[in-house]
Amino acid sequence: MAEEPESALQLPPSTAADGEGPTEVSPETATPEPPSSAAVSPGTEEPAGDTKKKIDVLLKAVGDTPIMKTKKWAVERTRTIQGLIDFIKKFLKLVASEQLFIYVNQSFAPSPDQEVGTLYECFGSDGKLVLHYCKSQAWG
Amino acid sequence: MEEDEFFGEKTFQRFCAEFIKHSRQIGDGWEWRTSKDCSEGYMCKTYFQIKPGTVVSHLGTSAHVQTCLPTEEALELPLDDFEVTETTTGSEVIKYEYHVLYSCSYQVPVLYFRASFLDGRPLALKDIWEGIHECYKTQMLQEPWDTITQQEHPILGQPFFVLHPCKTNEFMTPVLKNSQKINRSINYITSWLSVVGPVVGLNLPLSYARTASQDE
Repeated sequence: MAEEPESALQLPPSTAADGEGPTEVSPETATPEPPSSAAVSPGTEEPAGDTKKKIDVLLKAVGDTPIMKTKKWAVERTRTIQGLIDFIKKFLKLVASEQLFIYVNQSFAPSPDQEVGTLYECFGSDGKLVLHYCKSQAWG
Repeated sequence: MEEDEFFGEKTFQRFCAEFIKHSRQIGDGWEWRTSKDCSEGYMCKTYFQIKPGTVVSHLGTSAHVQTCLPTEEALELPLDDFEVTETTTGSEVIKYEYHVLYSCSYQVPVLYFRASFLDGRPLALKDIWEGIHECYKTQMLQEPWDTITQQEHPILGQPFFVLHPCKTNEFMTPVLKNSQKINRSINYITSWLSVVGPVVGLNLPLSYARTASQDE
Protein backbone atom coordinates (compact mmCIF):
# COMPACT_ATOMS: atom_id res chain seq x y z
CA MET A 1 0.00 0.00 0.00
CA ALA A 2 1.62 3.28 -1.08
CA GLU A 3 1.92 6.05 1.47
CA GLU A 4 0.37 9.38 0.69
CA PRO A 5 2.96 11.88 -0.51
CA GLU A 6 1.55 14.76 1.50
CA SER A 7 3.53 16.12 4.42
CA ALA A 8 2.33 15.45 7.96
CA LEU A 9 -0.63 17.61 8.87
CA GLN A 10 -0.88 19.30 12.20
CA LEU A 11 -3.43 17.93 14.60
CA PRO A 12 -5.80 20.75 15.54
CA PRO A 13 -6.19 21.68 19.20
CA SER A 14 -8.76 19.76 21.22
CA THR A 15 -11.14 22.69 21.17
CA ALA A 16 -11.45 22.74 17.39
CA ALA A 17 -15.05 23.15 16.37
CA ASP A 18 -16.81 20.65 14.22
CA GLY A 19 -16.86 21.67 10.62
CA GLU A 20 -19.08 20.92 7.71
CA GLY A 21 -18.70 17.81 5.66
CA PRO A 22 -20.56 14.95 4.03
CA THR A 23 -22.35 12.77 6.53
CA GLU A 24 -22.03 9.42 4.81
CA VAL A 25 -18.93 7.45 5.56
CA SER A 26 -18.89 3.85 4.46
CA PRO A 27 -16.18 1.43 5.55
CA GLU A 28 -14.91 0.78 2.07
CA THR A 29 -14.28 4.33 1.04
CA ALA A 30 -11.83 6.84 2.35
CA THR A 31 -13.18 9.69 4.43
CA PRO A 32 -13.75 13.11 2.89
CA GLU A 33 -11.45 16.09 3.39
CA PRO A 34 -11.28 17.40 6.94
CA PRO A 35 -13.55 20.32 7.75
CA SER A 36 -12.02 23.64 6.81
CA SER A 37 -12.51 25.12 10.25
CA ALA A 38 -10.15 22.55 11.78
CA ALA A 39 -7.08 24.59 10.85
CA VAL A 40 -4.93 21.70 9.79
CA SER A 41 -2.45 23.48 7.59
CA PRO A 42 1.13 23.06 8.73
CA GLY A 43 2.60 25.74 10.93
CA THR A 44 -0.58 27.21 12.32
CA GLU A 45 -0.43 25.10 15.45
CA GLU A 46 3.08 26.00 16.51
CA PRO A 47 3.06 28.57 19.31
CA ALA A 48 5.81 31.18 19.14
CA GLY A 49 9.10 30.06 20.64
CA ASP A 50 7.92 26.52 21.18
CA THR A 51 10.82 24.13 21.17
CA LYS A 52 8.66 21.10 21.82
CA LYS A 53 9.00 18.84 18.85
CA LYS A 54 5.83 17.25 17.62
CA ILE A 55 5.52 13.57 17.00
CA ASP A 56 4.74 12.20 13.58
CA VAL A 57 1.88 9.79 14.03
CA LEU A 58 0.67 7.41 11.36
CA LEU A 59 -2.90 6.29 11.89
CA LYS A 60 -4.01 2.98 10.44
CA ALA A 61 -7.51 1.54 10.47
CA VAL A 62 -8.28 -1.96 11.72
CA GLY A 63 -11.27 -4.04 10.70
CA ASP A 64 -14.28 -2.29 9.27
CA THR A 65 -13.28 1.06 10.65
CA PRO A 66 -13.38 3.87 8.10
CA ILE A 67 -10.01 4.82 6.74
CA MET A 68 -8.91 8.37 7.34
CA LYS A 69 -7.93 10.07 4.14
CA THR A 70 -5.24 11.89 6.03
CA LYS A 71 -3.18 9.36 7.88
CA LYS A 72 -0.12 11.28 8.90
CA TRP A 73 -0.44 13.83 11.67
CA ALA A 74 1.97 15.92 13.68
CA VAL A 75 0.87 15.59 17.28
CA GLU A 76 2.11 17.38 20.41
CA ARG A 77 4.04 15.17 22.77
CA THR A 78 1.62 15.86 25.58
CA ARG A 79 -1.49 14.95 23.62
CA THR A 80 -3.13 12.03 25.39
CA ILE A 81 -4.52 8.90 23.83
CA GLN A 82 -7.96 10.07 24.86
CA GLY A 83 -7.41 13.37 23.09
CA LEU A 84 -6.39 11.49 19.97
CA ILE A 85 -9.44 9.24 20.22
CA ASP A 86 -11.73 12.25 20.50
CA PHE A 87 -10.08 13.79 17.48
CA ILE A 88 -10.40 10.69 15.30
CA LYS A 89 -14.01 10.22 16.37
CA LYS A 90 -14.83 13.76 15.33
CA PHE A 91 -12.90 13.36 12.11
CA LEU A 92 -14.73 10.16 11.25
CA LYS A 93 -18.00 11.60 12.51
CA LEU A 94 -18.72 8.70 14.80
CA VAL A 95 -21.77 8.90 17.02
CA ALA A 96 -21.41 9.08 20.77
CA SER A 97 -22.40 5.47 21.31
CA GLU A 98 -19.63 4.20 19.09
CA GLN A 99 -16.29 3.65 20.70
CA LEU A 100 -12.89 3.96 19.22
CA PHE A 101 -9.80 2.19 20.46
CA ILE A 102 -6.20 2.94 19.69
CA TYR A 103 -3.54 0.24 19.74
CA VAL A 104 0.23 0.17 19.73
CA ASN A 105 1.91 -2.90 18.28
CA GLN A 106 -1.51 -3.63 16.75
CA SER A 107 -2.43 -5.39 19.95
CA PHE A 108 -2.21 -3.23 23.04
CA ALA A 109 -4.47 -0.35 24.03
CA PRO A 110 -2.58 2.29 26.03
CA SER A 111 -4.47 3.93 28.91
CA PRO A 112 -6.45 7.06 28.02
CA ASP A 113 -4.03 9.34 29.89
CA GLN A 114 -0.95 7.99 28.20
CA GLU A 115 0.90 10.67 26.27
CA VAL A 116 1.88 10.39 22.65
CA GLY A 117 5.42 11.48 23.48
CA THR A 118 5.87 8.54 25.86
CA LEU A 119 4.43 6.12 23.33
CA TYR A 120 6.79 7.43 20.70
CA GLU A 121 9.75 6.87 22.98
CA CYS A 122 8.69 3.28 23.60
CA PHE A 123 7.29 2.25 20.26
CA GLY A 124 8.35 4.80 17.70
CA SER A 125 10.61 3.88 14.81
CA ASP A 126 11.81 5.58 11.64
CA GLY A 127 10.90 8.89 13.20
CA LYS A 128 7.22 8.11 13.62
CA LEU A 129 4.71 6.36 15.80
CA VAL A 130 2.31 3.97 14.13
CA LEU A 131 -1.04 3.66 15.85
CA HIS A 132 -3.89 1.45 14.82
CA TYR A 133 -7.42 2.53 15.53
CA CYS A 134 -10.54 0.42 15.63
CA LYS A 135 -14.20 1.29 15.90
CA SER A 136 -16.33 -0.91 18.07
CA GLN A 137 -19.00 -1.08 20.65
CA ALA A 138 -17.42 -2.53 23.73
CA TRP A 139 -20.28 -2.28 26.17
CA GLY A 140 -23.81 -1.05 26.58
CA MET B 1 -19.57 -17.88 16.77
CA GLU B 2 -16.68 -18.02 14.35
CA GLU B 3 -13.82 -20.38 14.84
CA ASP B 4 -11.41 -17.47 15.09
CA GLU B 5 -12.84 -16.26 18.35
CA PHE B 6 -12.96 -19.65 19.98
CA PHE B 7 -11.26 -19.25 23.27
CA GLY B 8 -11.37 -22.24 25.56
CA GLU B 9 -10.39 -22.58 29.18
CA LYS B 10 -7.01 -24.07 28.32
CA THR B 11 -6.18 -21.22 26.00
CA PHE B 12 -7.33 -18.80 28.69
CA GLN B 13 -4.96 -20.37 31.19
CA ARG B 14 -2.08 -20.34 28.77
CA PHE B 15 -2.46 -16.64 28.03
CA CYS B 16 -2.83 -15.89 31.72
CA ALA B 17 0.39 -17.76 32.44
CA GLU B 18 2.25 -15.68 29.88
CA PHE B 19 0.70 -12.54 31.23
CA ILE B 20 1.68 -13.38 34.78
CA LYS B 21 5.20 -14.21 33.67
CA HIS B 22 5.63 -10.66 32.47
CA SER B 23 3.87 -9.32 35.54
CA ARG B 24 6.48 -11.01 37.71
CA GLN B 25 9.28 -9.52 35.63
CA ILE B 26 8.04 -6.02 36.26
CA GLY B 27 6.57 -6.55 39.73
CA ASP B 28 3.04 -5.76 38.66
CA GLY B 29 1.50 -8.06 41.26
CA TRP B 30 -0.70 -10.45 39.30
CA GLU B 31 -1.07 -13.97 40.62
CA TRP B 32 -2.77 -17.16 39.61
CA ARG B 33 -5.19 -18.76 42.00
CA THR B 34 -6.90 -22.11 41.65
CA SER B 35 -10.10 -23.23 43.22
CA LYS B 36 -9.68 -26.01 45.75
CA ASP B 37 -11.75 -28.67 44.11
CA CYS B 38 -11.17 -28.41 40.39
CA SER B 39 -8.84 -27.24 37.68
CA GLU B 40 -10.50 -23.88 37.28
CA GLY B 41 -8.38 -20.90 38.08
CA TYR B 42 -8.21 -17.17 37.75
CA MET B 43 -5.79 -14.29 37.75
CA CYS B 44 -5.92 -11.72 40.47
CA LYS B 45 -4.29 -8.55 41.59
CA THR B 46 -4.74 -6.60 44.78
CA TYR B 47 -3.48 -3.15 45.39
CA PHE B 48 -3.92 -0.46 47.94
CA GLN B 49 -4.49 3.15 47.20
CA ILE B 50 -4.62 6.10 49.50
CA LYS B 51 -7.70 8.08 48.68
CA PRO B 52 -6.48 11.58 49.38
CA GLY B 53 -8.01 13.57 52.18
CA THR B 54 -8.96 17.19 51.85
CA VAL B 55 -6.70 19.80 53.34
CA VAL B 56 -8.58 22.88 54.30
CA SER B 57 -6.72 25.93 55.47
CA HIS B 58 -8.67 28.34 57.56
CA LEU B 59 -7.80 31.90 56.74
CA GLY B 60 -9.14 35.30 57.32
CA THR B 61 -9.34 35.84 53.61
CA SER B 62 -10.44 33.55 50.84
CA ALA B 63 -10.07 29.92 51.69
CA HIS B 64 -7.46 28.00 49.80
CA VAL B 65 -8.81 24.53 49.40
CA GLN B 66 -6.93 21.79 47.73
CA THR B 67 -6.93 18.06 47.66
CA CYS B 68 -3.59 16.46 48.16
CA LEU B 69 -1.76 13.72 49.99
CA PRO B 70 -1.08 14.67 53.58
CA THR B 71 2.70 14.91 53.17
CA GLU B 72 4.96 17.81 53.80
CA GLU B 73 6.03 18.28 50.22
CA ALA B 74 2.51 18.26 48.87
CA LEU B 75 1.19 20.96 51.11
CA GLU B 76 1.27 24.42 49.72
CA LEU B 77 0.89 26.88 52.52
CA PRO B 78 -0.42 30.24 51.46
CA LEU B 79 2.00 32.98 52.41
CA ASP B 80 0.33 35.70 54.31
CA ASP B 81 0.12 37.16 57.76
CA PHE B 82 -3.03 35.44 58.78
CA GLU B 83 -2.94 32.60 61.21
CA VAL B 84 -3.34 29.38 59.36
CA THR B 85 -4.91 26.36 60.91
CA GLU B 86 -5.30 23.26 58.84
CA THR B 87 -7.26 20.13 59.26
CA THR B 88 -6.94 16.95 57.27
CA THR B 89 -10.07 14.92 56.95
CA GLY B 90 -11.12 11.75 55.37
CA SER B 91 -7.95 10.22 53.98
CA GLU B 92 -8.50 6.51 53.66
CA VAL B 93 -6.82 3.46 52.33
CA ILE B 94 -8.80 1.56 49.77
CA LYS B 95 -8.12 -1.99 48.74
CA TYR B 96 -8.80 -2.80 45.11
CA GLU B 97 -9.09 -6.32 43.86
CA TYR B 98 -9.22 -7.32 40.22
CA HIS B 99 -9.93 -10.87 39.15
CA VAL B 100 -9.81 -12.25 35.63
CA LEU B 101 -11.98 -15.32 35.18
CA TYR B 102 -13.03 -17.38 32.24
CA SER B 103 -16.68 -17.34 31.27
CA CYS B 104 -17.85 -20.65 29.86
CA SER B 105 -21.08 -19.20 28.59
CA TYR B 106 -19.49 -16.33 26.69
CA GLN B 107 -16.20 -18.11 26.07
CA VAL B 108 -14.24 -15.00 26.86
CA PRO B 109 -12.39 -13.65 29.88
CA VAL B 110 -14.36 -11.53 32.33
CA LEU B 111 -13.15 -8.86 34.71
CA TYR B 112 -14.45 -9.03 38.25
CA PHE B 113 -13.51 -6.31 40.69
CA ARG B 114 -14.32 -4.92 44.09
CA ALA B 115 -13.03 -2.27 46.40
CA SER B 116 -13.22 -1.95 50.15
CA PHE B 117 -11.88 0.08 53.03
CA LEU B 118 -9.40 -1.57 55.34
CA ASP B 119 -12.07 -2.28 57.91
CA GLY B 120 -13.87 -4.39 55.35
CA ARG B 121 -16.58 -1.94 54.39
CA PRO B 122 -17.16 -2.37 50.68
CA LEU B 123 -17.26 0.56 48.33
CA ALA B 124 -20.60 1.07 46.67
CA LEU B 125 -20.89 1.17 42.94
CA LYS B 126 -21.29 4.91 43.03
CA ASP B 127 -17.94 5.27 44.80
CA ILE B 128 -16.30 3.03 42.23
CA TRP B 129 -18.01 5.06 39.57
CA GLU B 130 -16.07 8.12 40.67
CA GLY B 131 -12.88 6.26 39.83
CA ILE B 132 -13.96 5.60 36.29
CA HIS B 133 -12.25 7.68 33.69
CA GLU B 134 -14.31 10.61 32.42
CA CYS B 135 -14.13 9.42 28.86
CA TYR B 136 -16.08 6.26 29.69
CA LYS B 137 -18.65 7.83 31.94
CA THR B 138 -20.89 9.36 29.28
CA GLN B 139 -21.17 6.16 27.34
CA MET B 140 -21.65 3.93 30.31
CA LEU B 141 -24.11 6.21 32.03
CA GLN B 142 -26.57 5.62 29.27
CA GLU B 143 -27.06 2.05 30.25
CA PRO B 144 -24.97 1.23 33.29
CA TRP B 145 -26.82 -1.96 34.06
CA ASP B 146 -25.63 -3.43 30.81
CA THR B 147 -22.07 -2.63 31.59
CA ILE B 148 -21.27 -3.04 35.27
CA THR B 149 -23.33 -5.46 37.29
CA GLN B 150 -22.89 -7.05 40.67
CA GLN B 151 -22.57 -10.79 40.64
CA GLU B 152 -21.40 -13.63 42.74
CA HIS B 153 -17.80 -14.58 42.07
CA PRO B 154 -18.04 -18.06 40.51
CA ILE B 155 -15.23 -19.46 42.61
CA LEU B 156 -15.20 -17.38 45.78
CA GLY B 157 -18.95 -17.00 46.04
CA GLN B 158 -18.65 -13.39 47.16
CA PRO B 159 -20.24 -10.35 45.53
CA PHE B 160 -18.08 -8.60 42.98
CA PHE B 161 -18.71 -6.02 40.34
CA VAL B 162 -18.41 -7.37 36.84
CA LEU B 163 -17.70 -5.69 33.55
CA HIS B 164 -20.22 -7.35 31.30
CA PRO B 165 -18.59 -9.54 28.66
CA CYS B 166 -21.30 -9.53 26.01
CA LYS B 167 -19.39 -7.18 23.71
CA THR B 168 -15.95 -8.64 24.27
CA ASN B 169 -16.01 -10.61 21.06
CA GLU B 170 -17.07 -7.54 19.18
CA PHE B 171 -14.04 -5.49 20.05
CA MET B 172 -11.56 -8.35 20.16
CA THR B 173 -12.45 -9.83 16.77
CA PRO B 174 -10.92 -7.05 14.62
CA VAL B 175 -7.72 -7.20 16.68
CA LEU B 176 -7.53 -10.98 16.34
CA LYS B 177 -8.27 -10.92 12.64
CA ASN B 178 -5.66 -8.25 12.11
CA SER B 179 -3.07 -10.27 13.96
CA GLN B 180 -3.79 -13.28 11.76
CA LYS B 181 -3.47 -11.13 8.68
CA ILE B 182 -0.01 -9.97 9.65
CA ASN B 183 1.07 -13.36 11.00
CA ARG B 184 1.57 -12.24 14.53
CA SER B 185 0.16 -14.06 17.49
CA ILE B 186 -1.24 -11.95 20.26
CA ASN B 187 -1.81 -12.56 23.92
CA TYR B 188 -5.58 -12.30 24.10
CA ILE B 189 -5.54 -11.57 27.80
CA THR B 190 -3.05 -8.72 27.47
CA SER B 191 -4.94 -7.11 24.61
CA TRP B 192 -8.31 -7.56 26.25
CA LEU B 193 -7.22 -6.29 29.64
CA SER B 194 -5.53 -3.26 28.11
CA VAL B 195 -8.92 -2.29 26.71
CA VAL B 196 -11.25 -3.06 29.62
CA GLY B 197 -8.91 -2.41 32.53
CA PRO B 198 -8.79 1.41 32.29
CA VAL B 199 -12.57 1.52 32.43
CA VAL B 200 -12.42 0.41 36.04
CA GLY B 201 -9.20 2.07 37.05
CA LEU B 202 -6.81 -0.70 36.12
CA ASN B 203 -4.05 0.57 33.86
CA LEU B 204 -1.49 -1.81 32.46
CA PRO B 205 2.11 -0.58 32.28
CA LEU B 206 3.29 -0.06 28.74
CA SER B 207 5.86 -2.84 28.92
CA TYR B 208 3.03 -5.34 28.48
CA ALA B 209 2.60 -3.98 24.99
CA ARG B 210 5.84 -5.52 23.89
CA THR B 211 4.67 -8.91 25.06
CA ALA B 212 1.20 -8.46 23.62
CA SER B 213 2.21 -9.71 20.23
CA GLN B 214 5.05 -11.43 18.52
CA ASP B 215 5.87 -12.67 15.07
CA GLU B 216 4.89 -16.22 14.38
